[in-house]
Amino acid sequence: MKRSSGNRLIPPVIIRTLKNQPVIIALIAVFVMFSILYPDRFLSLLNFKTILRQFVTLTLFAMGPSIVVVTGSLDLSYVGIWMLGGVLVWLCMPVLGLFSILVILLLGVATGFLIGVIQAKAKIPSFILTLSLLVTYWGLTAKLAGGYPRIVRGFEFITAPLIPYIPTAFLWSIPIIFAAVFIMKYTRIGTYLYAIGSNEEGARLAGINVDKYKILAFTLSGLFTGIGSMILFQHLGGSTPVELKLNTLVWPLVAIVLGGTPLMGGSGGPQRTILGALTFTVFYRGVYLSPLHPYSIQLLVGLLLIVSITVSARGLKGVTIT
Amino acid sequence: MRMGIAMDDSLLEVKGVSKTFGGVVRALDDISLAARRNEIVGVVGENGAGKSTLMKILVGVYPPDKGELYHKGEKVPFPKDPKEAAKRGISIVYQEKGVIPWLKVYQFLFLGHEDKYVKFSILQTDKMKKHAAAILEELHVKCDAEAFMYELPLSTQKMVEIARAILSVRLESGEDGTTPIIILDEPTGPLNDEERRELFSDLLKMKKNASFFFISHIIPEVREFTDRVHVLRDGKLVANYDFSEEKIAEEDLFRAIVGRESSEYISKQEVKGVDRGAVGLTAKNMTKKGHYYDISFDLHKGECVGIFGPAGSGKSQIIRTIAGIMSFERGELIVKGHKLKASAPPHVRLRSGIGYFSGETGKELFFNWPIVKNISIVNMQKILGKFMPVINFNAERKMAQRIVHRLRIRTPSVNTDCYSLSGGNKQKVSVGKWVERKPDILLLDDPTIGIDVGAREDIYEVLSEMKKSGISMILVSDDPKEYSILCDRIMFVMDGRIQNVLGPDEFRKVVGI
Ligand SMILES: Nc1ncnc2c1ncn2[C@@H]1O[C@H](COP(=O)(O)OP(=O)(O)OP(=O)(O)O)[C@@H](O)[C@H]1O
Ligand SMILES: [Mg+2]
Repeated sequence: MKRSSGNRLIPPVIIRTLKNQPVIIALIAVFVMFSILYPDRFLSLLNFKTILRQFVTLTLFAMGPSIVVVTGSLDLSYVGIWMLGGVLVWLCMPVLGLFSILVILLLGVATGFLIGVIQAKAKIPSFILTLSLLVTYWGLTAKLAGGYPRIVRGFEFITAPLIPYIPTAFLWSIPIIFAAVFIMKYTRIGTYLYAIGSNEEGARLAGINVDKYKILAFTLSGLFTGIGSMILFQHLGGSTPVELKLNTLVWPLVAIVLGGTPLMGGSGGPQRTILGALTFTVFYRGVYLSPLHPYSIQLLVGLLLIVSITVSARGLKGVTIT
Repeated sequence: MRMGIAMDDSLLEVKGVSKTFGGVVRALDDISLAARRNEIVGVVGENGAGKSTLMKILVGVYPPDKGELYHKGEKVPFPKDPKEAAKRGISIVYQEKGVIPWLKVYQFLFLGHEDKYVKFSILQTDKMKKHAAAILEELHVKCDAEAFMYELPLSTQKMVEIARAILSVRLESGEDGTTPIIILDEPTGPLNDEERRELFSDLLKMKKNASFFFISHIIPEVREFTDRVHVLRDGKLVANYDFSEEKIAEEDLFRAIVGRESSEYISKQEVKGVDRGAVGLTAKNMTKKGHYYDISFDLHKGECVGIFGPAGSGKSQIIRTIAGIMSFERGELIVKGHKLKASAPPHVRLRSGIGYFSGETGKELFFNWPIVKNISIVNMQKILGKFMPVINFNAERKMAQRIVHRLRIRTPSVNTDCYSLSGGNKQKVSVGKWVERKPDILLLDDPTIGIDVGAREDIYEVLSEMKKSGISMILVSDDPKEYSILCDRIMFVMDGRIQNVLGPDEFRKVVGI
């Protein structure tokens, strides 16, 4: 055995981290690039605050689905839960008062569980299933709200400023992120979900109840989306949205994939999604400050999604049938 | 070491090839060997000795760090990819499964060479089918060019893979160019005795216009069918034998491969099954039409029962049924006094103490995971904290290290991803997780495919220990010796019915070992 004389300048810990999370390099690169290009506007406190705000939005939307993506499925229902949840809060407000916000949580868990059961038992591709559900929820939202956004007052405390320049929603998101990362990295559940995404038949042979854990993955996704949407409800304006915007749907997906979770599952997960969300936000704020036309920005986001899907797909090593 | 080969005689020769992976794993160290026209060259050695790596270098999957390549005595650069290797006449049948089941035979044969059959950008399928049929006929492969790959028996699939290798040489190097050199990396691993014989009779015919590198862990077949053999150990060439000049005893070859005497585990196995423990599992008239009928037996604590029979006898289906991968139609399966549902999946079986080792590494292993995780996946409850269900990474690592040490898995560390392990070491990781789990009843479905002769003894020893500690086992294998080593009783199955139950001594007499 011979050890090659490696680079002594950079500590091995950093090399290992960069190898495992190459998106950090991209993050640093875009950050440095825009800092040089627009020193005063990009490196301003206001911009940092905006970045944090957008980061929170992305992270809270993407946390749940990134658990499902690890198992090799896809969950697009998050926007639907957020929209329908908002309208249900508006409807329940007169009866339940402030407790009505919990309706979003219930809706999230119930939706996730339902998707899980249908997907596991009927073997319908999760992409189609959750997409149809999203459209259904959207329609239901518009119908219940009568087509207009409805403003709900009383939940301002959720985002009441605590620390200057730090959005309170960001503080809320910290324990949520920790919980998700903890479940995926330090518990049996997480291990089994990675196993299913990495090699479903192998998981079955190892005596894992694959259907049960798939249902659990979707339920967890619904749970995290539910918790996140309670915060996002106020964070994004305290009113019930009735328009389905493509960006709301696509950006969290970009965050997941950019972070390095391949859509076929088996690796990545919430801890990478945070990095992906941060990188995307920094990138987006940068191009936003640039003189680029909004259409060009849209085009860039699309290209970014394609590139990151291609790169993260190679994360699944071991397919060496050369 | 000098090879006594005249230059004009050698078809392909490598000199001084070395290869290191990631600066740490020395896979090959100064290897020189050659293949002559029309011969089968055996390459043997322990798991991780470097056999597959050497062959992958020959076809351009990996570049060597050092070394030279001579083709017909002429120095040539190493190929950059398998296509370029094929131009020079070298092609490979990989150790890991390379068949694409849902392709038709002719599609699979020409996969990657379709450009030769395109006219006005339309694929000439009729021509492909005709050519495929002609090739199959010429190479004595008995199958229909329009059958699906998955419909063929394993041995025929292997033959089609070999035909594809020969074909790719012909297509890439011009119709009647060079003598093809075909590399077969453990082709006989998944085959049973009958299929093996068939493969060899075909290989001997093909030898008339091709040369082969042949890798195998099965010593008798290497002695019988190869012309010469090279032995690798720890990436070095340690011995060469020419069977046309000398007769080599099985023990000598064993010693050369392993670097130590055989522990004779096989012959000095003590008489077993003196006092039987309580009944752990009972099958009563288990029947699945078309597969097996009226299977009844008791499995006692600490006992190993073998299910032996020719291909298609239903033995694999029986063990898979007990594992919960197939379901039965009639009869009962009782474990520790509880009836199991016919359709209860593996996780329910595991809860009642049945572990299943499928022997198919490709199915069982999580290739993009490190060894630690592959072992802990069935041993979660052992490494969760007492008060909180949190994984104790330290315990997890210790557990993996124990298994790596016990089964002598060749790896730089337990954090190495499994895809980079050699074939046999992958298999050891797969079986290792069950060794650690110690289920009450362990089902072994061909547990030692691809495991080298020395390591096989290690595994038999570990399994015997497990048996002594009270674990029951059911074994299905392609190797009769395995039954005589591990089993207390052997059920002889044919046409889906138990014909006879034999003790190990009787069994040895019947199969002649
Ligand atoms: N892609 C790779 N990356 C890192 N190490 C590798 C890689 N491929 C092989 N190795 C290492 O090189 C050594 C030789 O492996 P190789 O596959 O050639 O063994 P082998 O002789 O074919 O063994 P087996 O009989 O088990 O198939 C092993 O220690 C293995 O772990
Ligand atoms: Mg090998």
